[in-house]
Amino acid sequence: MQIPSELRYSKDHEWAKADGAVVRIGITDYAQDALGDVVFVDVPKIGAQVSAGGVLGEVESTKSVSEIYAPVSGTVSAVNDTLKNAPESVNADPYGAGWICEITTTSLDDFNSLLDAQGYQALTNN
Amino acid sequence: MSDRRPFLYDAHVALGAKIVPFGGWLMPLQYASGTVAEHLACRRDAVVFDVSHLGTVRCDGPGMFDVLQDTLTNDLEKIAPGRAQYTHLLNDDGFVVDDIIVWWVGPNSFDVMPNASNTSGVTSALPGVDVTSERCVLAVQGPNARAKVATVDERFATIGRFHVERMDFRGTEVRVAGTGYTGEDGLEIAAPNEVANELLASLVGAGITPAGLGARDTLRLEAALPLYGHELTLESTTLEAKLGWVLGLDKKTFRGKEAVEEERARGPRRQLTGLIVEGRQPLRDGAVVSFEDRALGELCSGNFSPVLERGIGMGLLHDAPDAGSTVSVSMRGRVLDAQICTLPFVRKVK
Repeated sequence: MQIPSELRYSKDHEWAKADGAVVRIGITDYAQDALGDVVFVDVPKIGAQVSAGGVLGEVESTKSVSEIYAPVSGTVSAVNDTLKNAPESVNADPYGAGWICEITTTSLDDFNSLLDAQGYQALTNN
Repeated sequence: MSDRRPFLYDAHVALGAKIVPFGGWLMPLQYASGTVAEHLACRRDAVVFDVSHLGTVRCDGPGMFDVLQDTLTNDLEKIAPGRAQYTHLLNDDGFVVDDIIVWWVGPNSFDVMPNASNTSGVTSALPGVDVTSERCVLAVQGPNARAKVATVDERFATIGRFHVERMDFRGTEVRVAGTGYTGEDGLEIAAPNEVANELLASLVGAGITPAGLGARDTLRLEAALPLYGHELTLESTTLEAKLGWVLGLDKKTFRGKEAVEEERARGPRRQLTGLIVEGRQPLRDGAVVSFEDRALGELCSGNFSPVLERGIGMGLLHDAPDAGSTVSVSMRGRVLDAQICTLPFVRKVK
């Protein structure tokens, strides 16, 4: 199970990476493994306002549907369009090509309160 | 009651299986390559499923023909010893208690194979012996199934479609049938537990990909084969599922025959109907289908079709419009367009 040390994590199994005020989001390796083969991702619309903990979209596998929650509040400023035809990259490369969207925040408070890799590792061990 | 481990449990774990509870058993959902890859391996090459969770009720002895003929819907007079037949067990109201494959192994010897969760109900309706825990059943399916099985045992590969024969695997009697549940050609081998590990290892060694229940479900859905608990339940009928061919209406009797005849005279209330969406979003069971603001019913099954790369589903619908019509599907509070289509979604076996 990969848990890159440079990323932050939500208890709902999203990862987040901040670049200034822009926070890139995806689902973790643990989450993609639990879901099984991802066949469809419902990504948010650019410009949508989201609040931390609110529903951002859905990931669907051959097994089940899982909601993606926003780890930070802000405005959706980019979405990963390649998931439309290649949702399997969520399985193959969850921290890279399988990213879901970017949220531009006005404050990094939400981001700073996310788990670090060690904290997320502890969460998934339980 | 805790879930049962199949005899081959450790072998599945060693092959990288992810295990899930299903029908009272702990069965492989998928192996390392995943459901979509296993599905496509079955459509293009050959896969092996452990389907030991299906029950085997062994009905041996004189008089068994009459008991089965008077209980199950399909007409055994249409086949003969050495053949297999798909059939239904109904209740007196004509609703489906189970869908079953009967292997007519010898003149007075029948292996009746119900669904995992229904085995006890079928055992109580028939005077057979439940031998489920004594044997494993491996289903080898796909266009290359026979060619690859032939490298393990040439005789296995010769079994005709819907034929069943006693053969032997390295000196031990096994039962081989030309049956399956994927829409592909293939065969199923029922082997005593003593040789099951060796048989599975030989099949995998012959280049046959192990596949789990995830792929089995998406394959049967593409082939529009009903799944008990979804299309077939104690609230649905054989005619609604468009399986009228399994009803032996010329027979003197079978359980539920009067109710079936009444239903046939007035026509089934609902019909199994296929739906397909434009994009990849899977349809899901329980989604409500409507047409021009009129509710038609709910989907019984739905998923992603790996072959078509589109969302598909099927449901028992009232007065569905013709194929090609656009209907609305309501799932998780949102509405999606889908087209009515003909079944099966994918047609393969020649």
